[in-house]
Amino acid sequence: MTVPVPVGRPATIEAEAIGFQYAGRPRPAFADVSFRLEPGECLLVVGPSGSGKSSLALAIAGLIPREFPGRWRGRLRVAGLDPTTAEATAVAARVGIVFQDPASQLVMDRVEDDVAFGLENLGWPPAAMRTRVPEALEAVGLAGFERRRSTTLSGGEQQRLALAGVLAPRPGILVLDEPTANLDPPGARAFAERLAALRGRRAATIVLVEHRVELAWPLADWILALGDDGRPMEFGRPAEVLARSAERLARAGIWLPGEEARIAAASATLAPGGRDGRLPTGPAVVEARDVGYSYDRRTAALRSVSLAVGAGERVALVGPNGSGKSTLGRLLVGLLRPTAGSIRLAGSERSGQPPADPARLPAAELARRAGYVFQDPEQQFLTSRVADEVMVGLGPAERAAAAELMDRIGLPLSEFGDRSPYTLSGGEQRRLSLACALVRRPALLVLDEPTFGQDRRGYEALLAILGERLEAGCAVLAATHDERFVADFAGRVVRLEGGRLVDDRIVPAARPTLDAGLPAAGAARRPATAEPRPATAEPRAAIAEPRSRPSEEG
Amino acid sequence: MIALAAPADEQLASPLGRTSPLVKLGIALGWLLGLVLTLDPRPPLILVALAVGAGLVLGRIPARRLAAGLLPLWSVALGIGVFNALFSGTNVDPTLAEFARLGPFRVTEQAVANGVAIALRVLTIAAVGVVFGLTTDSTRLVDALVQQGRLPERFGYGALAAYQAIPRLAEALTTLRQARRIRGLRTSWHPSILVGLLVLAIRHGDRLALAMDARAFGAGPRSRYREVRWTILDGVVGLAAIVALVAALAIGTA
Repeated sequence: MTVPVPVGRPATIEAEAIGFQYAGRPRPAFADVSFRLEPGECLLVVGPSGSGKSSLALAIAGLIPREFPGRWRGRLRVAGLDPTTAEATAVAARVGIVFQDPASQLVMDRVEDDVAFGLENLGWPPAAMRTRVPEALEAVGLAGFERRRSTTLSGGEQQRLALAGVLAPRPGILVLDEPTANLDPPGARAFAERLAALRGRRAATIVLVEHRVELAWPLADWILALGDDGRPMEFGRPAEVLARSAERLARAGIWLPGEEARIAAASATLAPGGRDGRLPTGPAVVEARDVGYSYDRRTAALRSVSLAVGAGERVALVGPNGSGKSTLGRLLVGLLRPTAGSIRLAGSERSGQPPADPARLPAAELARRAGYVFQDPEQQFLTSRVADEVMVGLGPAERAAAAELMDRIGLPLSEFGDRSPYTLSGGEQRRLSLACALVRRPALLVLDEPTFGQDRRGYEALLAILGERLEAGCAVLAATHDERFVADFAGRVVRLEGGRLVDDRIVPAARPTLDAGLPAAGAARRPATAEPRPATAEPRAAIAEPRSRPSEEG
Repeated sequence: MIALAAPADEQLASPLGRTSPLVKLGIALGWLLGLVLTLDPRPPLILVALAVGAGLVLGRIPARRLAAGLLPLWSVALGIGVFNALFSGTNVDPTLAEFARLGPFRVTEQAVANGVAIALRVLTIAAVGVVFGLTTDSTRLVDALVQQGRLPERFGYGALAAYQAIPRLAEALTTLRQARRIRGLRTSWHPSILVGLLVLAIRHGDRLALAMDARAFGAGPRSRYREVRWTILDGVVGLAAIVALVAALAIGTA
């Protein structure tokens, strides 16, 4: 039996002009990256989607270039080792990595076995494992979960379990690649708390890739910003970086801190409840009456929900994981058939047909009336080319509109048309799936977590396009955990809990953000705090031209 | 959502639950091979009764749970038996005794005997399989295969991780079919759905493999969090199963 490698102290990371180009790709994923992290420091890597953040994380964890064909450049030292040549066991004992999707990193059925998995691979003696496994679970707030099955845990608990498994061998370096991307706000906050505790104790040197600024920036000692070409735009202390380059970074599509107060204020302005899901007046685009749904006849995913949505309404559907948001969305667009109650979906202007039960409509007619964007973009691709994907089932006139739409969301067919949807970055995949739903101009658009993993440009393009569709009378309903998106988008907030509609509020004043076409209207976006945030006062990215943009600022 | 049937802790703590999964696998295989030796209906019936009894008593499986697991498989066994009797080649042999005539169909006694024998064998496999599944933890099965059965670790634990992904793929299949419908395509079984599913399965496998490699899987000698050792119980259960098989066969030839 091998003796465990003596680890446990935070270690140094040194990168000198490192870069990597995947085989068959025209340009490097990242290049010319240099930095030095002292033991116990935390580096936050930011950048627009597709800028090589995840690839850099894989390189620090020793998986690039070991597991991927391609060309490596530069010199990297991780805890004194060169991970490009060192033995996999030696690197794994010193560096742990947590990925985005909890379900694809859990190996064993039972929680304790999964935590022990990494220790077994490193040859820890059984007695040491028995004391270490409960410690690691305790450190992530999962004490007592030893005998549970990992598939019965919530997404947030699964991700903390993944963290426990990675922390168990006491790595000196911890790499986290968007660890909260799939979690609801409480799950993400619980994860961030555990991370903050590690950072507070300086228990490990941390490299963090994360879109949620409010969680990530307070942890960072250093910021590394990568640009579209995978090259560094900025490296420095958070305050310096903000003071020096906030405008440049925001223009590159990078989220910056400073809007938390605005988001909190927006959610405080919600009018008190009192509506019960029904429209006060006017015809509904979609109306659900006492709808219930159960997947297995024993437990109801949705109970007696009534909800009517009118033309031009922008509804945010909120609530914890498992509260029935996705189920309600799929019912409204006829992808599921209610087990109780009824749903009526209005006919589109073009078809001139009467309202109907969406679950009984033929697919072709349904697609004219409603669009749906699934949470996981990869699960909805039907073809192997981006151009084919957006053109599925379209007529010649719609094809030209599709090409124009792709330009606007930053996926021009000239550049992306021949690529496989599966090779796009997460943010690009999400925009493609949105384009696929928008291209038929349906009267009802339902989105499941449309802003996951979106960089600033993708987010603003999304808001602009939704604003246009809303003006054209489309009803938009978005299931979302993103508090920023609720603040920027929603005119009405419907909350589900445990399968019931528990709250339905309208936002009193029309949001200037959407009415102005884009959130560029400076006054609406200025923070209440005195923090420097020039980021909000600069012109928006060129991919989404607003209809009525105020005069250029900044 | 879709969840795989998993044995509860009480069954795992039962004598049958504590028996090495390898012994149980061996019994299943041994009984199956033993039944090839005879066409008599009695041995499989005895073994079915023994398997069900062992599941209830030694495996502490609640009767309702066992019945719920067995019913669908037993109707399959019945269907296979009827099919074999109706479409047996012996039905066209005029020299064989007729068992029944259904319109233009003639069913010989030989065909009925074949059908019954086949159905009973399927029944036995089903009973042993369900009792095995309801008393065996997947992790323990792989631990036993690797530690006692010398199965390569990479294969064993890789398969275990892949097994966890099955419910996820079932959900992905639903989503893919819904994605076709909302884009105006008919949701009948189109090859592109299977292509999409295959792509998703491969990508999931890639990610899982990467996460496992990052945790030093397959890089060097492993230690064991859970040792699986041969016990007296394994010997007792194995011996009892051999005795049962021999006795059943003896009754069949008597």
